[in-house]
Amino acid sequence: MTENPYLPVEAKIEKIIDETSNIKTFVLKPSRKIKFETGQFVQLTIPGIGEAPFTPSSSPYQTEKIEITIMKVGLLTGKLHEMREGEIVGIRGPYGRGYPFDDFYNKEVLVLGGGVGMAPLRSLLLTLLKNVDKFRRIVLCYGAKTPEDIVYKDAFPEWKKKKKLEILRSVDKAAPGWEETEGLVTVLLDKVKMDLKNSVAVVCGPPIMMKFGTFKLIDLGYKPESIYLSMEKNMSCGLGKCGHCALGKYYVCKDGPVFKYDLIKDIPDIWL
Amino acid sequence: MKFYINKVDWEKFLEQISKTYRIYAPQEVYDELSYQLLSPENVNNTTYGTYRAVQPLKIFFSLPQEKVTAVTSQPEKTIVLGVKNCDLKALQVLDKIFLEGDFVDPFYRERRENTLIISSDCYQPKDTCFCTLLDNNPFPEEGFDLNVSPIDNGFLLEVGSPKGESFIASIREDLKEATSDLMEKRERKRKEAKKRVVEVNREFKTKRPFSVIVKDEYASPVWEEVTKTCVECGACTNICPSCYCFLLVDTKDEGKFPKVKFWDSCQHTGFARVAADVNPRAKLYERLRNRYLCKYEYRPENFGIVACTGCGRCVEACQGKIDKREVIKKLSEKEEK
Ligand SMILES: Cc1cc2nc3c(=O)[nH]c(=O)nc-3n(C[C@H](O)[C@H](O)[C@H](O)COP(=O)(O)OP(=O)(O)OC[C@H]3O[C@@H](n4cnc5c(N)ncnc54)[C@H](O)[C@@H]3O)c2cc1C
Ligand code: SF4
Ligand code: SF4
Ligand code: FES
Repeated sequence: MTENPYLPVEAKIEKIIDETSNIKTFVLKPSRKIKFETGQFVQLTIPGIGEAPFTPSSSPYQTEKIEITIMKVGLLTGKLHEMREGEIVGIRGPYGRGYPFDDFYNKEVLVLGGGVGMAPLRSLLLTLLKNVDKFRRIVLCYGAKTPEDIVYKDAFPEWKKKKKLEILRSVDKAAPGWEETEGLVTVLLDKVKMDLKNSVAVVCGPPIMMKFGTFKLIDLGYKPESIYLSMEKNMSCGLGKCGHCALGKYYVCKDGPVFKYDLIKDIPDIWL
Repeated sequence: MKFYINKVDWEKFLEQISKTYRIYAPQEVYDELSYQLLSPENVNNTTYGTYRAVQPLKIFFSLPQEKVTAVTSQPEKTIVLGVKNCDLKALQVLDKIFLEGDFVDPFYRERRENTLIISSDCYQPKDTCFCTLLDNNPFPEEGFDLNVSPIDNGFLLEVGSPKGESFIASIREDLKEATSDLMEKRERKRKEAKKRVVEVNREFKTKRPFSVIVKDEYASPVWEEVTKTCVECGACTNICPSCYCFLLVDTKDEGKFPKVKFWDSCQHTGFARVAADVNPRAKLYERLRNRYLCKYEYRPENFGIVACTGCGRCVEACQGKIDKREVIKKLSEKEEK
């Protein structure tokens, strides 16, 4: 029998990094190299428990190890959070279409992220930074619930030093010592001036933030075809076969997970 | 290539090849036609020229439940006999899903490659059949290896693929080419059969095609109304020859990453649910509507194939007596009165 797309390869958990009280980053070393493009996703299996899709948060240029940032929300993610360094999980992929970042060349790139939605965006950001000469400007607007809920806390000071990259952050609820914006992440969009004719926006976060973020971008004058969204749907196979991830006529696992907004804007109820 | 073979010779041939193939043929069991394994004892019980079997053709290719991470043995050489056009059309959808795209389902492919499809004309539709409403015919024109049309105490044999051609190689010499008289006879029988299906469905005819109706009437209150009797059993999707959706389940079985693939149904509550209990199709009527959109709008847009072939199985299987034809008619009525 030829290649079996249902069968994962083993990956060792080399390191677990606590990001927040309910988000951890897992550094995985797959037994076979998994080359992915930024924005593509993989399926992680805990043997005998289940499988779920996650987008690597590491740079696609780092191929020995894959980092995956996971928020604890239910059964499988709960079990993952109980796992220890050295244990084995299954991984298969990569799947889907990631960020077509060569479409972003010579443009201003606005990256809008919320909560654990920063995971794929970190991978994208690392990719953009690696090719920074090709872009006019990169602006990251990131929001979290509280300062404690911000992921990759150690990375921000480094990123702030980067040329061409501007970072704005907000928290829904501030705490002592927080000197940046307080409010929903969309308020940050009022603070940035983008050259709209020459700009794309990339959005990833919880459904409600995706919805209002997108509407806000449209209000600001972004065209639907310049907005790139990461859609989260229920997934089982990741292969474009099982039907679980349907979004209108599309299967998110194969036609997405990244969609230009103009492709999906007329499909009813996309934000759920 | 078209030939004539008489019934006795055909059955002799089947008996002979049943030594190398498992042959499944539609036979009457408790008032239903169901696929039975052919043996010398039952070979002449096969019904060729009436409606489709109760089981959908997909059961031979996408199993209701199957281990997909263990290497399975080579599937046995199989023949499915008496397949009707509605099932051949539906198989096109499954082929698109499982054989095309970036990934191929190796289990499906192996079974598909090891199976020969011998279709036959349908001269006696059921009152639940509605292939003609979807511009399908009750007789096969493509997608078969061989087609047999019962005629004059024998069969008009039509070769539809190289696989079918080599299959009959051993008896090829003894076969007579079909005469034009025989061809005309088949044509007449086919026309009459089609007329019968059209007749059965006279009251369900709509002006707009189904694809347009489901799209235009997305927001219609009819969806909720017709869902009232639905008990969410999933019979409609299980019995449907073109429903392919499945769920991978990790099991505690032996082996590395044991996963079992089960048929799943978009009618079930959890089908599209994501974490934090967010469900894009939380209401039952939204899920029922999804099935119609899948069949008449989405798959046609993807593949150029209407995914409902009008086989009528879901109409018969429904506990809530929901008839797709009536639903579409109701949806369409507002504008067409
Ligand atoms: C492309 C993509 C990329 C993603 N990337 C990330 C990422 O980088 N980081 C991250 O943290 N998250 C990510 N997610 C989300 C992540 O996949 C989900 O949070 C994860 O699947 C939740 O699994 P769980 O078992 O912990 O949650 P649960 O809520 O326990 O289960 C969720 C799944 O199980 C099903 N389910 C639950 N209960 C039932 C029931 N009773 N009956 C039937 N089905 C049920 C749901 O329908 C759903 O499929 C991504 C999702 C997608 C689609
Ligand atoms: S939807 Fe119903 S009538 Fe249409 S192909 Fe499926 S089972 Fe047959
Ligand atoms: S989405 Fe529903 S109707 Fe469409 S193939 Fe899957 S189970 Fe069948
Ligand atoms: S997850 Fe199976 S089709 Fe997309």
